[in-house]
Amino acid sequence: MGLSAAKPLIRRHAEIGIFLIGAVLIVIFASTSEGRWANLYNIGTIMQMTATLGLMSLGVALVIGTGEIDISVGSTFGMGALTYLWLAAHVDPSIAALAAIVVGAAIGFFNGLLVTWTRTPSLIITLGTLMIFRGIAIALTEGFSFSIPYAARKGWSYFLLGGDVFLGFNTALYWLIAVLVVLMVMLKAMPFGNRLLAVGGSVESAHSRGVRVERIKLSAFVLCGLLAGFAGTLEAGKLGFADGSMGRLMELQAIASCVLGGCLLAGGRISLPGALMGAFVLSSIQSYLVVTGVQPQWFVLILGVIVVLAAYGDKSLRQWALRK
Amino acid sequence: MTNNNPLIQVKNLDLHFGAFHALKNVSVDFHAGELIGLVGDNGAGKTTLIRVLCGIYTPSSGEVFFDGRKVEKFHPKLAIDQGIETIQQSVGLCDNLSIARNFYLGREPLKRILGIPFLDFGTMREKSSRVIRQFGLRENVSADDEVERLSGGERQSVKIGRAVEFKNRVVIMDEPTNHLSVREREHVNELAVQLKEQGLLVIYITHDIFQVHKLADRIVIMENGEKVADASTDSMTAEELEEVIRQGGRVVEKREAV
Repeated sequence: MGLSAAKPLIRRHAEIGIFLIGAVLIVIFASTSEGRWANLYNIGTIMQMTATLGLMSLGVALVIGTGEIDISVGSTFGMGALTYLWLAAHVDPSIAALAAIVVGAAIGFFNGLLVTWTRTPSLIITLGTLMIFRGIAIALTEGFSFSIPYAARKGWSYFLLGGDVFLGFNTALYWLIAVLVVLMVMLKAMPFGNRLLAVGGSVESAHSRGVRVERIKLSAFVLCGLLAGFAGTLEAGKLGFADGSMGRLMELQAIASCVLGGCLLAGGRISLPGALMGAFVLSSIQSYLVVTGVQPQWFVLILGVIVVLAAYGDKSLRQWALRK
Repeated sequence: MTNNNPLIQVKNLDLHFGAFHALKNVSVDFHAGELIGLVGDNGAGKTTLIRVLCGIYTPSSGEVFFDGRKVEKFHPKLAIDQGIETIQQSVGLCDNLSIARNFYLGREPLKRILGIPFLDFGTMREKSSRVIRQFGLRENVSADDEVERLSGGERQSVKIGRAVEFKNRVVIMDEPTNHLSVREREHVNELAVQLKEQGLLVIYITHDIFQVHKLADRIVIMENGEKVADASTDSMTAEELEEVIRQGGRVVEKREAV
């Protein structure tokens, strides 16, 4: 009786599943790690991982909202990080960050243009650009890594861009919160959001009502690239170095975060808080495996199994909610 | 009252979808204050023709003039801006959006705060609620409900309500009475006549020649992508028009240019 009352809520809010899964995992991880997982330092680390993965996931969610997909974000993330590190050694970090964001947005524009202009499925286009920009990143670094000299790791702009903590959390987390608020307002309360979800819901109907479908898709790709470039900047700001493999496989984590968070791959229905919770769950799982001393060679495998189980749990919950 | 200068003039229109020749050298005039019945069998090219008029398709060749000016670019946004409202048969509503959001899609009312445009939810809800009530949507359906929840008839009512609310110069109705009850059909047909009397051009697409013959001033018949007849309803009975369709337009020559 009590549980059945929750059904309409679960039907209406697809992200509820991932919040429940997150709550269950928190209890399991906290109770089985003898305090190594649930401590302030580790939570801060998880939040930092969530911040950068979350920013990417928000961008991917926007693209998914239009019914397309961007699997090149891992490479865009890497390009953003390398641009930031390369420039921050010479100019103020705020200018370096701006350049990294522009590089990310340009990659997004390139993706969006190819998708809308050639009308080729975005999965294929962004699979290609994933490899192109990974290749460029590896070629640029020539097997070495880019880093910011210790002498340059100072100043408020460096600290603001992921280089320090504030109130116990890396500054990247505050950027994530700010971006979430802006995107939520854009999606729910502005014409752009209405049109973006309309395009994902039915391209033909949106087009017939005068929506410029190509422009909306292009904008979503640009925002996605921009956010991935910015996430790369914040990650680079925290680590202080990066090589050509920076961001490898993060594209899959970003997409998994969105799907776990209730974003429909067919488009039209997305949840930005859900995508963030998905990023938090994935980051938490990674952290749990690290603190419990799982051998690195098993890491990806176990992560994959947990993601499959979480996705199955989420699907079962939604099916239950849909039953009368 | 019709005007001698056509509001929409279609000249030698051709449209190809790859190897398929969907519209073949179609020429037809539409005047303000007219109710035109566009009829023909499935695949005749009726919907394709109106999709050119409302900017969804760009013709392969030929010309379209709106109010004497040649249409250079085809896009639904441009057609809507010129005052053409269309009730599409299979498209027009996004299931994942609320009725209010669908109602104003592409022309959202705005409220500026510090110069930033935000959706004016108050206006969206209030106006769309009023209109959907007029078109018989259930009391328990709210403007905030997603369209997915609606029945076929209710969805059609939302499309009709939207077209009537934003009517400007032309209302194109593609099979508007599909999924509607007898009473709702009568209401839609009365509306079509009222719109015509208000001086609008109404293009009414249907399979039901008897129904449209009662309403229309003129009937345009299409067959295999061609216009095969264009006759005033005073000059031909519904039975004669039906015979034209049955004969695939072969009896047209002696009847055309009435």
